Amino acid sequence: MKLEIGGSETIPASVDALWVALNDPAVLTRCIPGCRSMTEMAPDAYKVEMQLRVAAVGGSFEGEISLHDKEAPKVCGIKVSGAGSLGHGNGTARFEIEPDGEDSKLIYKGTGEIGGLVAGVGQRILSSVSKHLIGRFFTALRKEFEQPVHGAAE
Amino acid sequence: MSQQPVALRFVSSNRRVREDRRFVAGHGRYVADVVLDGMLHVALVPSQHPAAKILAIDTSAALKMPGVVHALTGDDLVRAVDPLMNGLDTPKVRRFPLAVGQVRYAGEWVVAVVAETRAQAEDAAEKVRVTYEPLPYVIDGEEAATDASPKVHPEHGTNVLLDKTFVWGDVEKHFAESPRHLSFRVVWGRNSTVPIETFGVVARWDAWREMLEVWASIQMPKYPDQIARALRIAANNVRVHQDVDVGGSYGVKRGIKQTVLVSHLSRILNRPVRLIEDRLENMRAGDAHGPERTFDVEVAFNDDGIVKSMKMKALDNVGAYAGRSPFQLGKPVGAIVGPYKIESVQYRAIAVLSNKAAQEAVRGFGQSPTNYAIEAAIDKVAAAVGLDRIEIRRRNFIRSHEFPYLIPSGTHYDSGDYHTVVSKVLASADYEALVKERDALRASGMMAGIGIAACLEPSGGNSSFEPLLNEKNTTSTWMDSCRINIDGLGFVTVTIHTTSAGQGHETLAATVVGEVLEIDPDLIRIVRPDSLASLPSNSPVGSRMAIMLGGACYHAAEKLKTKLKRIGAHQFGLSADNVVYAQGGVSDPRSNKTLSWAELVNIGHRQFHALPAGMEPGLETTHVMQVPTGTKLPENGRVQMYPCHSFEFHLVLLTFDPEIAKPEIRKYVIGHDCGVVINPHIVKGMTLGGIAHGIGAALLEEFSYDSEGQLLTQSFMDYLLPSSHEVPNVEIVHHCTPSPFTVFGQKGSGESGYLGSPAAISGAINDAVSPLGISFSRLPIRIAAISDAIAAAKNKQAEDYA
Repeated sequence: MKLEIGGSETIPASVDALWVALNDPAVLTRCIPGCRSMTEMAPDAYKVEMQLRVAAVGGSFEGEISLHDKEAPKVCGIKVSGAGSLGHGNGTARFEIEPDGEDSKLIYKGTGEIGGLVAGVGQRILSSVSKHLIGRFFTALRKEFEQPVHGAAE
Repeated sequence: MSQQPVALRFVSSNRRVREDRRFVAGHGRYVADVVLDGMLHVALVPSQHPAAKILAIDTSAALKMPGVVHALTGDDLVRAVDPLMNGLDTPKVRRFPLAVGQVRYAGEWVVAVVAETRAQAEDAAEKVRVTYEPLPYVIDGEEAATDASPKVHPEHGTNVLLDKTFVWGDVEKHFAESPRHLSFRVVWGRNSTVPIETFGVVARWDAWREMLEVWASIQMPKYPDQIARALRIAANNVRVHQDVDVGGSYGVKRGIKQTVLVSHLSRILNRPVRLIEDRLENMRAGDAHGPERTFDVEVAFNDDGIVKSMKMKALDNVGAYAGRSPFQLGKPVGAIVGPYKIESVQYRAIAVLSNKAAQEAVRGFGQSPTNYAIEAAIDKVAAAVGLDRIEIRRRNFIRSHEFPYLIPSGTHYDSGDYHTVVSKVLASADYEALVKERDALRASGMMAGIGIAACLEPSGGNSSFEPLLNEKNTTSTWMDSCRINIDGLGFVTVTIHTTSAGQGHETLAATVVGEVLEIDPDLIRIVRPDSLASLPSNSPVGSRMAIMLGGACYHAAEKLKTKLKRIGAHQFGLSADNVVYAQGGVSDPRSNKTLSWAELVNIGHRQFHALPAGMEPGLETTHVMQVPTGTKLPENGRVQMYPCHSFEFHLVLLTFDPEIAKPEIRKYVIGHDCGVVINPHIVKGMTLGGIAHGIGAALLEEFSYDSEGQLLTQSFMDYLLPSSHEVPNVEIVHHCTPSPFTVFGQKGSGESGYLGSPAAISGAINDAVSPLGISFSRLPIRIAAISDAIAAAKNKQAEDYA
């Protein structure tokens, strides 16, 4: 099934600081819900391992994330694909960072296609689940700047 | 064919169903109860794509998981087994238990992981990594039939498996002569039967005895043969244990791919292997899906509502593989005009492959969808000529004096009295009052409608649709057998030779043998030998067992009775024709001397010197029963399909709020004529269950896919089943028109209720919404569809008014 996401969030960080954070696998590992590990395979290409639960099904998910069309520190394209016991998915997204006073505004938009178990069992709630997961991501991201953690994940 | 002239003692009497005691008490013995030493368990890795090339399979992580013994891929399997049976002559549509090289539907099994426990197998299955290259796919049946669509089996060259047009009678002439025509489309959504027990199988290969032992929850014709062929072993190396209770089926317990898979695994691992599908495996890729059919119907009729001719095109989306499912377009040929005197028919049957789960047999084997289309036609003709829907049926019904009645497609209907059944139902339901109730509901602001359906249940299960749709197939028998043995102490044991999926065959066999031998059925033991010890029999499909197993038991018992009479007559110095058999004894009517059962048994078992010359010792007989009327192969597209035709007439009143639109069935009456009933409880259970099943098909149940080929209904949260909230109290009005072709006059009833209830409920909803000028032409009619259509119609009315 097709899934569309989009929105904007204000993050208490400068444009540059936010850009650095969003390019730091350690930060992303902490912020992406269910993310177990994120390994850099090549410049701007990562392998991720996730453990997720959607509706009646839970399971593991392995995927690849690549960043492209980067215009530091403002614009970035993201390509995601992966598969696991939950199903498979792929999608593309793009975000832009704009200054918003002392803070930054992150505007994002993306589309995805999801198949397998998660599409069948969780389809009625998938869009609300995705909104929830995105919400958790931004909550965690804001926390990164409220209690700055420097360097790599321990 | 004989009619029993004497009064029946046990047949039709109010006797308990003997199987029910163990089921109700929780002492059935199902496949999950078969636990063997060293048994391994299987979990499956499903495809997540509707169509994709398998580029690589990495099982290394799975194999390192605790308890894991093996992980089998399609490439490994295909080297050791032959393709599964394909009913049609389409050799390039090959099917194996696991996907080979390519997946063809979301959920298809790609890898089988074997472990010490099912939980370990499931955990390890999550670690299997399959790399796919997605391919184009097609989900819609009509789209799949076009040349431009992606090919499910590229080697086959097209997605069309079968496209056959039959013309029976002067269709074009009748259409030209008829003053009125109408045409329409109706769609039967992909639904099924949903047994409580999913499919399960245990297989054990015994290398030292060269024997494959199988225990399964099975209802598959020619099951041992199919296993042997796929595994490339001799059929007498396969022993299927048939003393396994089957927890529901109604067609779907086909199990062949599962059985071939675990049998192969047992052979290579040298341990017993079990696969019991979980609900997800079952709903996605077990044998869970039934017909999915689009009908385009055209009828020619006159101003009196008499239907002269019909053109029907049925396109069935059979999913990714063939199997037996396309034959479900063939069985309805045997009742293609329903209970009506339609003089000519053009029937085009199209079976199309798509990237959905493969379709399997479901209760009625395609007859219920066809009945729905025929009944929709009759309702529409009634509306077109302004006739009452009951009156139009009465006008078109075959008359009771016209039986046996030859329909255009070559089947003789055995017997029936449709007008009487209708009259009895109308009287019982108080039809006038029902109409008033509907009108009162409408006046109160509710939607309310009456639904009517009249249809036939072809029964007796010949397999004539096989040669009809596949000329290379020359099957003209679909036999069933019975063996009766009276042991040296005088006890009677009857062997029957298939599994049962809740149809009460033990009760059936005991009742029939008790009736003929005039002994208490409760004293008769029924056993099911394994397949190697069995006489030729087919599985209980096609509403056939009352006719076929009942017939086999009757004839075997008659042979045994004749033997007892000959033994007795020999003692009296009489011919067998001149003695009287009563309640197990044989008497000389001149002297009134009687030889008791015990004395006859003693002679049969111990006194060879007292037997008539040439008689074998012991008291044992067998009978292999041919399907009544099954005498020849099809000729010119015409064939006697099934021997018997039960009749049912449904009358439904339902109502719903125009905004909430949840139908509530206020009254449900069915008139049912299946000839002489052998056990009334079994027939009642079949009929009530069939109506519940039909309510699901009409209102709730559908295996639906999204446009990306993903199955959206993989659990009971989304695949909705009728519950006690939806199933009303049903009143059954009995009528009995004996069949002239069966031993007691019995007909089939295993599909009763289901064959007409979807049509009746659909008719009731359409009657309810008819004041708004709308109708529904697709099943299931879900609540949301009703409320949306009503809202749209009301908006349109408001706009038109404005």
